[in-house]
Amino acid sequence: MAYMIAFHWGWLLASLVLGFCMGWVAVVTHARPVPRRWMIVLGVVAAGLVALAVTQVVPGRFGYWLDLLLIMFVPYLVGCAIGSQLRDWVVMRTAPPG
Amino acid sequence: MRGLFRWSSKWWPGVVPLVLFWVIAAWNNTVAVETDLAGKAASAVKDIVLDKVKISADGRDIDFEAEAFSEEGRRGALTAVEAAPGVRLVNDQTRLVPESKPFVWSAEREVAKITLSGNAPLPAVKGKLMDVARDQVKGIEIADQMGLARGAPVNFEDAAALLIGQIGKLKDGKVTISDSTVSLSGMARDLGGREAIAAALKTLPQGFSVAANDVKAPPYIFQANKDPVAVTLTLSGYVPDENIHAVVLGASSRKFFSEKVVDNLKTSLGAPPGFVNAVIPALGVLSRLSTGTLVVSDREVKISGDALYEAAAQQIHAGLAKDFPKEWQVTADISVRPASAPVDASVCQQLFSELLSKAKIRFLTGRDTLDSDSTGLLDRLVETALRCPNATIEIAGHTDSDGEDTANQTLSERRAQAVLDYFVKAGLPADRFTAIGYGGTKPIASNDTDDGKAQNRRIEFLVR
Repeated sequence: MAYMIAFHWGWLLASLVLGFCMGWVAVVTHARPVPRRWMIVLGVVAAGLVALAVTQVVPGRFGYWLDLLLIMFVPYLVGCAIGSQLRDWVVMRTAPPG
Repeated sequence: MRGLFRWSSKWWPGVVPLVLFWVIAAWNNTVAVETDLAGKAASAVKDIVLDKVKISADGRDIDFEAEAFSEEGRRGALTAVEAAPGVRLVNDQTRLVPESKPFVWSAEREVAKITLSGNAPLPAVKGKLMDVARDQVKGIEIADQMGLARGAPVNFEDAAALLIGQIGKLKDGKVTISDSTVSLSGMARDLGGREAIAAALKTLPQGFSVAANDVKAPPYIFQANKDPVAVTLTLSGYVPDENIHAVVLGASSRKFFSEKVVDNLKTSLGAPPGFVNAVIPALGVLSRLSTGTLVVSDREVKISGDALYEAAAQQIHAGLAKDFPKEWQVTADISVRPASAPVDASVCQQLFSELLSKAKIRFLTGRDTLDSDSTGLLDRLVETALRCPNATIEIAGHTDSDGEDTANQTLSERRAQAVLDYFVKAGLPADRFTAIGYGGTKPIASNDTDDGKAQNRRIEFLVR
């Protein structure tokens, strides 16, 4: 894990920034949200991929690419959460009372 | 928290550029990661003794091929690669170096090239043996055809190093270790090389034994050339030591009374047994020739030249079988020199006197047996007698004054008679000679000194 972070820190930072931007926009966007059922399906898929990575059953380069995908997904999600939370605070402060 | 969950349902559009990032990252970094991890794995095992190491990376997984020299070393290497940072899985293709039975190692010399082949127990030992070879035999190409195998005998390295030292003493040949036995074959570079190798083999490490030592030595050569023109006897080749050198020189100066002895002999080990017992009689034969060459090569003696008269040639041939050690092979190519022109009695007397002024006829102390060192002189005297066939010759024996007069008288008569007998055996008619003994009655020098006594003990020839 430490090696992956050290080797790909630039890409992880980019994922974090991308996530932050996405989170910042998500609070005010009118885009259609993902249905709840799909959220569950996506969560299960993500859990499956994590399980594959942890058990190291995917060999060679495919295993490395899976690890890379998952490890980039983590800062993206963190960035999204931070972005959304901050944007929410900004929106709350600037909204007229009432 | 509830808001976060609600907002997360709108985070999906960012996944598209995220996947794009991932593709680019994977495209750019895969080879770099593989190269980096392969390097880290290689450096993790660089201090572990392994052979045929092959490390490659597939993603973060390492394919590790190697041959280890012990199970402990194999496991250690595997653990080290697994522990290298960033490595995910190790595809273990390690195994132990094959065991060789019998464990064979050899070094072969072909004049200007040495090839080390067979098995070595460790790469370090292999390298050290190459260093030893370069150090011991400088200026010669050293080829390494050694493989690696387990199963070397204890002290293998010391034994192999010792044998490499011995191959430096060979002109060509091979040394082999098979388990704990040692075999050698080939030709020693120098005289004495075979003996030096045999001595070194006694210091082989404990547990090793010599199965075969077939090292041959170059022929041990001794040569003597009698040149009647330069009046020299030239000795060349080898003698085993300084004592025998002195014996050979002493015998040469006694037997070759009129020639100057040119000593070009060197001392060297490796002489065949009985060397001196063969060389001394061979020099005796050569002393009887007017011109001739003696070549001793190992246990083979070759004498060629011209005898002074026919009977001498026959006597030389007859004496070959009994005068030399049994194991020696002696060949003589003896011809007879053409007879010299006849001379009258006065010249004959002069020739006798000249010869006897250079050397004396010697006898064994107190006896009438002719000393073999005088054979050359006697042949010259016979040859002189043959040149004056009409003269009668008195052979006069004299002694010093030591001892009783009657005993001296008898000894002088018997010694004169011994010389006469030699002449008769040489083919001269007995009626031309008279043997007379004078005892100590006709001294030519004082009997008070050893030198004077020696001069008085003599044989004289009076030509009538």
